[in-house]
Amino acid sequence: MVRSYIPKSYGEALDILSKGDLTIMAGGTDLMVKKRNRAGLLPSFQKDVLFLSGIKELSYINKENSSVRIGSMTTLEEILYSKQIPSLLREAAAIMASPGIRHTATLGGNIGNASPAGDTLPVLYLYNAMIIIESKRQTREVPIEEFITGPGRTTFGPGELIKEIVLEEAKFNVLYYKKIGGRKTDAISKVSFAAGAFARNGIVEDIRMAFGAVSPRVARDRGIEDSIKGTPAAGILDLAEEIRNGYGNIINPIDDQRSNAKYRKKCCMNMIDDFLGKVFAEQ
Amino acid sequence: MSDISKSIPKSDSAGKIAGETIYIGDMVLDDMLHAMTLRSVHAKARIKSIRLPEMPEGYFIVDHRDIPGDNCVNIIFDDMPVFADGKVNYIGEPILLAAGPKRKKVKEIIDSIEVEYEPSEPVFGYSKSVVHHEFEKGDAASVFCKAERIIKGSYSTGYQEHIYMEPQGVIGLYEDNKTTVIGSMQCPYYIKNAVVRTLGTGQENVRVIQAATGGAFGGKEEFPSLMGCQAAVAANKTGKPIKLIYERTEDIETTTKRHPSRIDFEAAAGEDGSIEALRVRVFLDSGAYIGLSGVVLQRAMIAASGVYTISNLSVSGDVYETNTVPNGAFRGFGAPQMFFAIEMFIHHFAIETGQDPLALRKRHLASMGDPTSTGGTFRDPIIMGDMIQKAIDMSGYDEKIAEYSKPGDHRGIGMSWVLHGCGFTGSGEQKHIKAVVRLRKEKDDMVTILAANTEMGQGAMTTLRKIAAGVLGIPIEKVIYNNPDTDLVPDSGPTVASRTVMIVGGLIARAARQLKEKWVPGKEILVEERYRQPDYIEWDEDKLRGDAYPAYSWGVNVVEVEVSPVTYEVDLKGIWAVYDIGKAIDERIIIGQAEGGLSQGISYGMTEVMECREGRIQQRNMTDYIIPTAGDCIPMEIVIMDNPYPLGPYGAKGAGELPLVGGAPAVALAIENAIGKRIDRIPATPEYIMELMENG
Repeated sequence: MVRSYIPKSYGEALDILSKGDLTIMAGGTDLMVKKRNRAGLLPSFQKDVLFLSGIKELSYINKENSSVRIGSMTTLEEILYSKQIPSLLREAAAIMASPGIRHTATLGGNIGNASPAGDTLPVLYLYNAMIIIESKRQTREVPIEEFITGPGRTTFGPGELIKEIVLEEAKFNVLYYKKIGGRKTDAISKVSFAAGAFARNGIVEDIRMAFGAVSPRVARDRGIEDSIKGTPAAGILDLAEEIRNGYGNIINPIDDQRSNAKYRKKCCMNMIDDFLGKVFAEQ
Repeated sequence: MSDISKSIPKSDSAGKIAGETIYIGDMVLDDMLHAMTLRSVHAKARIKSIRLPEMPEGYFIVDHRDIPGDNCVNIIFDDMPVFADGKVNYIGEPILLAAGPKRKKVKEIIDSIEVEYEPSEPVFGYSKSVVHHEFEKGDAASVFCKAERIIKGSYSTGYQEHIYMEPQGVIGLYEDNKTTVIGSMQCPYYIKNAVVRTLGTGQENVRVIQAATGGAFGGKEEFPSLMGCQAAVAANKTGKPIKLIYERTEDIETTTKRHPSRIDFEAAAGEDGSIEALRVRVFLDSGAYIGLSGVVLQRAMIAASGVYTISNLSVSGDVYETNTVPNGAFRGFGAPQMFFAIEMFIHHFAIETGQDPLALRKRHLASMGDPTSTGGTFRDPIIMGDMIQKAIDMSGYDEKIAEYSKPGDHRGIGMSWVLHGCGFTGSGEQKHIKAVVRLRKEKDDMVTILAANTEMGQGAMTTLRKIAAGVLGIPIEKVIYNNPDTDLVPDSGPTVASRTVMIVGGLIARAARQLKEKWVPGKEILVEERYRQPDYIEWDEDKLRGDAYPAYSWGVNVVEVEVSPVTYEVDLKGIWAVYDIGKAIDERIIIGQAEGGLSQGISYGMTEVMECREGRIQQRNMTDYIIPTAGDCIPMEIVIMDNPYPLGPYGAKGAGELPLVGGAPAVALAIENAIGKRIDRIPATPEYIMELMENG
């Protein structure tokens, strides 16, 4: 028999977590599916469960100077309708799941779940998201790339939870987001792609690309990005093949019941081209 | 009198909207036991032994040894056992039930049963024919001998899963020497006959009651007979009510689906470009048991020349047994496979012979008086010419196809023409079904329709009440239609094959006329009508010759798409359809059928992927088996024609299946037009479109 804890405050949640090994429910829209049992039977949780989503202190969106701080229990629906949130993240939220799920699912949950197909993740990578993790003893800040270590795997330590997500301000004048699912709503990504670039006076000053659902973790390669920065936008299409080859090495999709590796990879390559075409057009 | 087509509120809507309707899953009876099924994990194996755990008090195991009668589910072809006896033929085949008061404990029992199997080599693919049919029209063989040019095509279609909103479920009871099955179903008498046979008992000892049914699409035609028999056997053994409800994954993995198919064509081109002769070969995958696959094959074969008149036709087909989950009835019943294939082929034939496809299709379009594929006659007016023109005008087809056919344009438009034979194939109604309906007027002048047809969301209850009230000239509130109970209603046949309004509604209209003549206020009156086949219908069941159907409904479907050259995804841009279903008994219900059916057909053509690998279904839940959501649907423009059929009630023909049949070819042709590559299989997924666009 597992116990359920519904803390009234953030402090209480940290207290409870400090005393035992618990499963954290941060909306539960994926967890309840993972733990589902036969119809009519209780879900099969092995550990006690801490319900975080009722904690109001963790639900906020604050724009501070150059960054946006998002409480981990902010729902995707709140993200979708907040003007403080970068448009790419709102776009990702808009085509996630269905309204019912978006009202319950949280940004912290999507990160903690660490699915390679998590729909907000490529955008969070793009904005160099810092994950603020707290336990009763300490607070630490970890870049999202380091926080998620593999499918369903993170660097969570005992007693820790995600307090907030900090998005660094980024200046883009070309934005690109595409999620490819089996249908327009309520679908798990076959592939997703988020990208942004800033071109000024014909020079690409910044460019970032992140791919979801095509490798164990979201794929972003700063080396490739750095190699493009400073080049003329007018010449970017000449680099396209080299860029595609670069990403081709880090994108390793699989065949599964939703799609196949060949399609996933081809779409990534096409989206790179499509995005670069938009950067070219921005010169 | 007001027009019958004018819509009224559906009889079943209020309860469903209020959440008051009681489905089988909601029912709780005293002393009820929950049952779960132990299933095969091998595609083909001998069961060497079954080791059961020690059974707690009040818990039961029910298997083939508990069957008093035949261990065989009474479907058309008798090969499916109620419980596996010593061998299994597909992954998921039921071996036994465990039943008891607590579901958790029942699950523990199921999980702890050890079955020792001796696996053997399963059969997959089109290799083991178990049913064969063929028929000829004209003399195709000699045309082919002399033919200068022969065009070929081969088309394949995948599975389709019903995804009715409510999964399968039944409750079996045994009281006072009588066994009752209550459940979600289309055909109460199918289940009754099956249970009678499995229990080896008399008709009077079995009763079947339909519970409110949350969608079916054919999936609750023959499949519930299996569950009904199992629950009946378990109820007889334990003396307690047995509730057997499938959950979604179990339902997807182990219940019937639309038959995957391959259809090959050869056509002899005449000097004028027409199709002088057509040779068609149909391959259907039945899964592990034949069940009604032979009849599905017949419907597919009879549709071999589509809506076209082709003078020389040679059609053969086979049902192939494989060690996979059995396939069965699904809205369209073999026709969706064939209409996809023939509509693509006639297009491909035209292109290969350098003709305008539309002109070729118009040239071959059947008209009144033409012989059908099986040598019967299209007796009733065919208004396809008007319908096609209407669809072309509404959709802007002519201009769009010209524009979209330019290289580099990723928009496309496709048009399919279909017909659907209404009611059972051939003399099925007369020889096998023998429908009977009664109307009973009470002293208070309320009239109850006594028929076995089921409401499953499609509007049967409303439509049949409207027909009775309309003929009798009494308000609809005076006519009652309850969910059928075989102890109370005669066998008016199953709720399948687009027969309910045309055949059963026709009988109700006749009974109502009879009652109207005998009407005396305040007096109890019972009238009865039996099905009589129109005299002119002649059908040779063995040779598949003659009039295959008493009447045909017709349809024209146009779909417009845009294909992304980046992601190969297909965006629906426009959907138009024109249907001739004789007469709409209720417009809103018909539009609902049309929009739902066409969506299901389009989705069959481009979205719904189900694969079976080594006998195991890969898409096992609604996350992985993708059907369209509201977000995937776009507004449709649908026109219902008036073309009354003399023998249908108010002129009505069948409508339930027709709209599905043309969805896949319309969208496949649209995609073909958009990408300029030939489509030979459905679903035309982005993965397949990528292959075509990249490799040609």
